[in-house]
Amino acid sequence: MTALLDIADLVVGHGPVTALHGVSLRVNSGEIVALVGANGAGKSTLLRALMGLVPVTSGEIMFDGTPLTGPAWSRARRGLGYCPEGRRVFPGLTVEENLNVAAAPGASLDTVYKLFPPLANRRDAPGWQLSGGEQQMLAVGRALMARPKLLLLDEPSLGLSPLLTDELLARLRAIASDGVAVLLAEQNAAAALEVADRAYVLHLGHTVDDGSAADPGLRQRVREGILSAKGLTSG
Amino acid sequence: MLQVLVNSLALGSAYALLALGFVLILNAVNAVNFAQGDLVMAGGFVAVAFGMLLPVPGIVLLPLVLVVMALIGRALAAVAYFPLKSRPPVSVFISTIAVGIILQNLANALFGAEPRAAPPLFAGGLVELGGIVVSRQALAIIAVAAVMIAAQYVLFQRTALGRRLRATAQDREMAEALGIRVNHVIAATFAIAAAYAGAAGLLLANTFFVTPTDGGNYILKAYIAVVIGGWGSVPGAVVGALLIALFEVMLPSLPLIVPGLAGLPGASWLFSQTIATILLYLMLLVVLVVRPQGLFGEAVQRRA
Ligand SMILES: Nc1ncnc2c1ncn2[C@@H]1O[C@H](COP(=O)(O)OP(=O)(O)OP(=O)(O)O)[C@@H](O)[C@H]1O
Ligand SMILES: [Mg+2]
Repeated sequence: MTALLDIADLVVGHGPVTALHGVSLRVNSGEIVALVGANGAGKSTLLRALMGLVPVTSGEIMFDGTPLTGPAWSRARRGLGYCPEGRRVFPGLTVEENLNVAAAPGASLDTVYKLFPPLANRRDAPGWQLSGGEQQMLAVGRALMARPKLLLLDEPSLGLSPLLTDELLARLRAIASDGVAVLLAEQNAAAALEVADRAYVLHLGHTVDDGSAADPGLRQRVREGILSAKGLTSG
Repeated sequence: MLQVLVNSLALGSAYALLALGFVLILNAVNAVNFAQGDLVMAGGFVAVAFGMLLPVPGIVLLPLVLVVMALIGRALAAVAYFPLKSRPPVSVFISTIAVGIILQNLANALFGAEPRAAPPLFAGGLVELGGIVVSRQALAIIAVAAVMIAAQYVLFQRTALGRRLRATAQDREMAEALGIRVNHVIAATFAIAAAYAGAAGLLLANTFFVTPTDGGNYILKAYIAVVIGGWGSVPGAVVGALLIALFEVMLPSLPLIVPGLAGLPGASWLFSQTIATILLYLMLLVVLVVRPQGLFGEAVQRRA
């Protein structure tokens, strides 16, 4: 299988702070890949670098066979759908306007409404009136309106109940089965590994682990890694 | 009485076009376009120039003025906004002041300091309307401004470009990450804002003439309208502009409307343009203290 996204030795800094120290990562077509790691691991930085929202110091990003460069709008039009940390729905636009404003030729509102039925009932509500869960559905739906080849999801579980998180992540299966690859950045590693095909573990800007999401060994190491990062393991 | 009301409504609707343009740029780039007043002046002179070349009524010149002013707005974005877009908003404030001064000097060099008049929209003179006599030009100004305000509403609320304009104003980075070419959208906003200021210039330059130094007065009007209406609120800008004009025109005319007032001691002093201006600033202060968010400022999220 050829890689849709192929990142090699990516180094990204925020001014003097280096957030990613040479990260390599692949996403194949139609695949869901989880990117897990604690606070400050560099997950958001990686997704923002892919969108061209933070400058890359060095490394190479290949997308769909050609280098990924240029301003954010051109990357979106090449097939990257971005759902940012904190949702960032347009507060003064209605649900339907939020979706339409991102629409690529051939995109359909019905597809999104079928995926997230609660949005259909709220189509005329302004973004600022939505609940956190509705905002998250809208942010994912909006990214899908660009008809992406690769959906970049940053921390969709943030602020959602466990139930709502599971429901939302379960939708990713439906999205992937439509041929859209997903790169899912999550602190909630357990939930992310549940839905992903493969996973990378990011720690302080380094990929420290990767493998099949179903691999019990990886799951075990992630669990222990998180516990030790939180200082919860005993001696 | 009604005649005075029509006149103040006419002035107010021209101010509204000016304030609308001001608030659109404010929302799009979060910066004050200080050249907005000079763009009104420029629009007035563009109308004067076209009027000298073509002996046609102002309404025929309006589309020409809109196009020329949109190009000037595009140029304003190119010189005063884009080079500074990653700097603090105050640098745009300063660069637009500079462009305003350039426009002033240009107008002075081309047309001289003497007041000039643009042609009336349809015809000059008075018309009788249901028993009252009002100025044709005032009625025409109200009609043209109303159409342009409605057009702005439709453009922003009902079209794809309008959605992009609002999305860009609300979260530029997010808009760009969704495939919107935000620089084009911002350039379009500047073009629209300048076109609206230019239209105000055409509308005002018949009754009130146009001189190269008019801009300072107009930018103050826009600023006050937007503060009163609510910083960033589009309907607020329109309402604020109408209130200002009502004040400016009505107060000096009060003795005409209420004859008893003319007999008061100091009436000619009290009901003067100067006092109207002072009261306007007082009103501004009161709004700033009592309701700093302005009349329409409560739902910040609904800006644009
Ligand atoms: N705008 C910024 N300016 C300076 N440093 C930043 C900036 N954004 C992120 N960083 C730093 O880069 C590193 C990676 O941050 P990043 O936000 O990518 O982590 P994350 O994995 O997304 O964390 P979280 O799970 O908390 O969202 C951190 O050390 C952070 O402090
Ligand atoms: Mg993050």
